[in-house]
Amino acid sequence: MSGAPEPLAALLAATARGEQAAFARLYRLTAPKLFAVALRMLRREDWAEEVLQECYMRIWDHARDYREGLSAPMTWMASIVRNRCLDWLRRPAVEVADAEGEVAAATAAPGPGPAEGLDRVQAARRINECLQALEAKQRQAIVLAFYEGRSHSELAAHLREPLGTVKTWVRRGLLRLRACLEGAGA
Amino acid sequence: MKLAGRPELTERLCAEYALGTLRGRARARFTRRLREDAALARAAAGWEQRLAPLLEAVAPVAPPPRLWRRIEERLAERRAPAPGLWRYLAFWRGLGLAASGATAVLLATVVLLWPQRAPEPAVAQLPASEVPAVYLAVLTDPATRRPALVVSAGRSAAQLAVKTLDPAIHVAGRSLELWALPAQGAPRSLGLVAPGEKAVLALAAAADRALEDVPALAVSLEPPGGSPTGAPTGPVLASGPCVKYW
Repeated sequence: MSGAPEPLAALLAATARGEQAAFARLYRLTAPKLFAVALRMLRREDWAEEVLQECYMRIWDHARDYREGLSAPMTWMASIVRNRCLDWLRRPAVEVADAEGEVAAATAAPGPGPAEGLDRVQAARRINECLQALEAKQRQAIVLAFYEGRSHSELAAHLREPLGTVKTWVRRGLLRLRACLEGAGA
Repeated sequence: MKLAGRPELTERLCAEYALGTLRGRARARFTRRLREDAALARAAAGWEQRLAPLLEAVAPVAPPPRLWRRIEERLAERRAPAPGLWRYLAFWRGLGLAASGATAVLLATVVLLWPQRAPEPAVAQLPASEVPAVYLAVLTDPATRRPALVVSAGRSAAQLAVKTLDPAIHVAGRSLELWALPAQGAPRSLGLVAPGEKAVLALAAAADRALEDVPALAVSLEPPGGSPTGAPTGPVLASGPCVKYW
């Protein structure tokens, strides 16, 4: 996605060779973002810590599987974290607190992040425009699913709509999002 | 669920996988398919990449310092000798035994390190392209990744030659036991490796039978005389893939 030099990819490559110093740098650069992603989905700091610990061990073990041509390093790592969070949310014992908790407030506060490439800022702006172009209910369903890891049935309960309706919103929303991102208009 | 010839369904599954609404068993099935189907993996990664800009809106939150300390502890545990064999099995099953590049390096190492071998024509006398029909294993120390033992057997010979590369692997008052780790089932003892630069172990059958379906070997540290239980009881000191070369 990015034509700019990507230090994270180099750090992942060094991690794949077993270089712990590179792995430590990779952690420092990426953990605040990935911790925030896990917090948003799990809404409990202790769970987010546990998940992140497992995920960084996974990144250490599987760095060699990363393919630069397939996805950006951050996308690849975020996918590991989001997948683990979704697994975690599957556990029957998990009772997730309400989204409007203090953690959500904390994550909304601006935090220090690595300087972002212009293309990434532009990509974020573009997907926001495309989200805004969706019908409000499609947008809400997609945003809740992505950031909070809500399943179709949780979305249906939260939005007080029939399951089939919510599934349709998600499906159509994703199709329109893709069309918009590919420049075909929404 | 058949995906071939159903581009719309494939696209929807990839999108919902990336979004996270593909859940439960369906997600687990889809994840397994991603490992086997490169085109599907590309399509799913495309969707992850498409949605990734949404992550920009998540403001970073610094994790507590203890998180990195715990990760460091776990990394240190990985490097220290572990108490049991099974941890190592899991360790290098994870690495994948079919590292063909690594195997090529192993072979080159063996040819260089072992210029003469008793039961077979000496490697040094052969053209580089012709290595005799042997089973070969280079067992490395999981902590240092340095080779510790080389094990070889002619395919029809009923004995194994073991060369010690790292004399420190022998511990006074303890026995070093060599194990065949079959693709399925429990480790099988191949006997004790006597201290010294070279040792020969008798096999119960020709190597072609004894090492058939044995993708890896390991040595564990055992009480004098070997494991009392018939299964490895001590730490694994070295392990590595066992390959057929012919």
